[in-house]
Amino acid sequence: MGRELIRLVDCCMSYDGEQVLDHINLYINDREFLTLLGPSGCGKTTTLRIIGGFTTPVAGEVLFDGRRMNDIPPHQRQVNTVFQRYALFPHLNVFENVAFGLRIPKVVEEERGGKTVKRKKKLPEKEIQERVLEMLEVVSLKGFENRRIHELSGGQQQRVAIARALVNRPKVLLLDEPLGALDLRLRKDMQSELKRIQQQMGITFVYVTHDQEEALAMSDTIVVMDQGRIQQIGTPEDIYNEPKNAFVADFIGESNILDGIMHEDYLVEFFNRKFKCLDKGFAPMEPVDVVIRPEDVDIVPVEKGQLRGTVTAVTFKGVHYDTIVDFKGFKWLIQTTDFHPVGEVIGIVLNPDDIHIMHKSQYSGMFGDYSSYSEEYDEMDDVTLLDEEADGEEAEDDEE
Amino acid sequence: MNGKNRFGGRLAMVLTFLFLYAPIFVLMVFSFNDSSSRTLWKGFTLDWYGELFQDGIIINSLYTTLLVALLSSLIATVAGTFAAIGFFNMKRRVRTPLMTINNIPMTNADIVTGVSMCLLFVAAFGAWNSFAQQMNEANGTSLPSLAMGFGTLLIAHITFNIPYVILSVMPKLRQMDKNLVEAAQDLGCTWMGAFFKVVLPEIKPGVVNGLLIAFTMSVDDFVISYFTAGPTTSTLAMTIYGMTKKRISPKINAVSTLLFVTVLLLLVIVNLREMQQSRAKKDPRRAARSAASSRRGTILGAGALAAVLLALILLSRQNNSRVVNVCGWGENIDPALIEQFQEETGIRVNYQTAEGNETMYSKVVLGGSGYDVIVPSDYMVSQMRQEGLLAELDFANIPNFSLIDDTYKHLSYDPENLYSVPYTWGTLGIIYNTAMVDEPITSWSALFDPQYAGQVLMINNPRDAIGVGLMYLGYSVNTTDEGEIREAYQLLAEAREQGVYQSFVMDEVYDKMEAGEAAIAVYYAGDFLAMYENNPDLAFVVPQEGSNWFVDAMCVLKDAPHKEAAEEWINFICSTDACLANMDYIWYASPNVQALADYPAYYEELYGEEMDPALYAIMAAPEEVLAGCEAYDALPAETNDLYKELWTVLGIG
Repeated sequence: MGRELIRLVDCCMSYDGEQVLDHINLYINDREFLTLLGPSGCGKTTTLRIIGGFTTPVAGEVLFDGRRMNDIPPHQRQVNTVFQRYALFPHLNVFENVAFGLRIPKVVEEERGGKTVKRKKKLPEKEIQERVLEMLEVVSLKGFENRRIHELSGGQQQRVAIARALVNRPKVLLLDEPLGALDLRLRKDMQSELKRIQQQMGITFVYVTHDQEEALAMSDTIVVMDQGRIQQIGTPEDIYNEPKNAFVADFIGESNILDGIMHEDYLVEFFNRKFKCLDKGFAPMEPVDVVIRPEDVDIVPVEKGQLRGTVTAVTFKGVHYDTIVDFKGFKWLIQTTDFHPVGEVIGIVLNPDDIHIMHKSQYSGMFGDYSSYSEEYDEMDDVTLLDEEADGEEAEDDEE
Repeated sequence: MNGKNRFGGRLAMVLTFLFLYAPIFVLMVFSFNDSSSRTLWKGFTLDWYGELFQDGIIINSLYTTLLVALLSSLIATVAGTFAAIGFFNMKRRVRTPLMTINNIPMTNADIVTGVSMCLLFVAAFGAWNSFAQQMNEANGTSLPSLAMGFGTLLIAHITFNIPYVILSVMPKLRQMDKNLVEAAQDLGCTWMGAFFKVVLPEIKPGVVNGLLIAFTMSVDDFVISYFTAGPTTSTLAMTIYGMTKKRISPKINAVSTLLFVTVLLLLVIVNLREMQQSRAKKDPRRAARSAASSRRGTILGAGALAAVLLALILLSRQNNSRVVNVCGWGENIDPALIEQFQEETGIRVNYQTAEGNETMYSKVVLGGSGYDVIVPSDYMVSQMRQEGLLAELDFANIPNFSLIDDTYKHLSYDPENLYSVPYTWGTLGIIYNTAMVDEPITSWSALFDPQYAGQVLMINNPRDAIGVGLMYLGYSVNTTDEGEIREAYQLLAEAREQGVYQSFVMDEVYDKMEAGEAAIAVYYAGDFLAMYENNPDLAFVVPQEGSNWFVDAMCVLKDAPHKEAAEEWINFICSTDACLANMDYIWYASPNVQALADYPAYYEELYGEEMDPALYAIMAAPEEVLAGCEAYDALPAETNDLYKELWTVLGIG
């Protein structure tokens, strides 16, 4: 990863008095794959639009290479965008869609008689031809030049959109939920395809998604957002293993989040029992949130367990079982490869590195209890529902 | 079973198309009819097309119609398209009420739009003109004064066209991916660049559609044009409407046919192009070629359009410094006279037509009519004179006034003869079909006689209809006695009850009498002559009880902008040559005594046959007939109100 390219300083945005971005501070490095991740309405698309120049923040600064860009219109930024529904030009064929940006005369500065003169310059047709065909090859659409847009599949349209943006050799490519409209299988293929293209072209990607799996799989850096604020910035591993608060812990992967008290460094109490952990730097007796990932819990016979609970539901997930266990009225999700029938009383063991401690936050108590497991589970896995939420977000942005 | 169904479906389709296109087909057929009748086929001719291009009034109004339609639809399309984009980008909270406001003019009655625009123009121009006058007097500037005319007509058409364009562009914008503009900007376009490169191709069908609708609406419009065109401009619709007092000239069939065929050709071309393009889409090489040719086509089309526009604008620039604005009845002047006057004097004549005295009167009273010369009938002269709407004429400028027979001077409507110069005169009478009645008709009683039930056409105007009753009862047509008027009305009402009247008509009388659909009608002598040409079974009689004889006279309005030119026009029309030409064209008798006497000879020379003296006597009623006739005077307001009330009770007007 290279040097810093873009920086947002205290960017705020509001529509009709409703604050949608609250002091966003963020920097993006050259050649970085950065993902803005969050639920619908979190402000991720707005942040992307500010970078693209389609929205001007009401406060704060947008810096490109250290230069203020707030008032520079989109067509003068070295940034290109892949839109959510591709926004391909239906009246042009594949070739002309990709060539669109190249055909627009660019203002170039030329030395002439010792003076720099600005003038508009068109690319020669031959160069356009070469660059378009080259780019179509990159996105594996060679031979599709003369196709009409409506003759292409969703995945092919997606590739055209990417080629159309990349052919202009932007420094940064912005992608607004680019895979949202594709089916699951195609989405997986395109994820690795995008990653490959990013590495091959060696440019920066800023990627917006609500799909945490997608974010974890592709990103160098993930920015988790909610309610117009950045909740956490970090590598996928950081975000997953050391979530900063209950929101992040819940949004990225599955988490059991419990109330606990930090007695001293490396010692936490919950369920009236003290556990060793690897966290330190909390005030003595500070109330905290304790995160335990479902896959980190070891199920043991009752007599060997640190805690004891009763299985209330089991769902077969292929690799593992989602097992819901009731501990004194608090329900945990435990992922295990062994089957434990409903009604069985089990014990569990938690190792110090299975436990992650977080400071209390506004999200404490909102997540991490699997009492209403089934509904929440449906929500997480229902692609169509998420798509509708994405629409909701767009609606909010555009007041539609 | 299936075959039967298909046959039924085809039959329904054929019938539907027949229903839609039969009227137009009939109109097209009759444009080639060797007769002025709208019902009788007398053989094939192209004469109407020839005459059409010699009729300056129709050609001028056609030109105005097309120019206004072209300019207003183009301007409205540009304005409406950008307005639609503006609306589209607004928040829904703002957009919804705005769209409602946009839709109001379309649902609003044309008459309201027309009158309100007229009032606005009159008020605005009035204020400006008095300001300009003051400025000019005080500071010696030369600010022009403004009047309604082509400009206001154009503004009005643009105004009522814009909502249609917006309505037709909006759905296309809604269908468009909202990110397209941003995508284009993102790729380096400015907003305008994005508009031309991306938005316009996307919404093009809507824009073209809007343009076509706007053009059609503009050609179609009568009411709004009528109120905003001022005295100098007439659209085709206005000219046709002006003809309804008389017969609608078959030249209109010809011009309508030409318009229809033009539009049809345009549509065929557009459809062929679309077919060609959709075929080309399947073959990329042909697509490239057709794209190139369509680009060339677009450039050629735009060039041609620009050239046409330029030519039209240059043509419309033939601005003679002197003009005269004349308002007459439709088909009530030989259009060649207008050309002749223009050539001789260099004064341009803006000839507009009104449908009747009352319409003309209300337009004058509304203000801003801008007319110089009007041609009201006797009683209307009287009314307008008393209301101070007329200017005293300077008879030194009208030497041909001496050619007018004294019989037509100093009549009751203008006792001192200061305000009017007679134009035509004639009698009201009974037209009947000799093949359909047993004995010649001589009395008004035929119009109340149950033996002719369903055979009688009563004239559809209160003064003449109730007048018939008064004349039959032996009362004066100018009576103010309520009892007498009610008695006359009673006659009409009873006859109507008994089903004597087939209908109350004005210009439809031509078709019905010519086709033998009715036996008896009340109408004017001059119009009988036109019908007689097409049906020699018809006869005309001035009943024994006497009748109304009427004079239409030329007057100059008090606020006429071109009084001198107006007097020059009147003088020209009074000349014996002009009167002869006019008499031959409209069949109404001239007050020019020389012309009246010379007409049979003129006829013989022109047509190579002798004029039937009986017909001549009908056109120019001899003195003994006139002696039994009475002219209409202006009635006092309460009597007018009584007429109106009775007419309403009768349920005709």
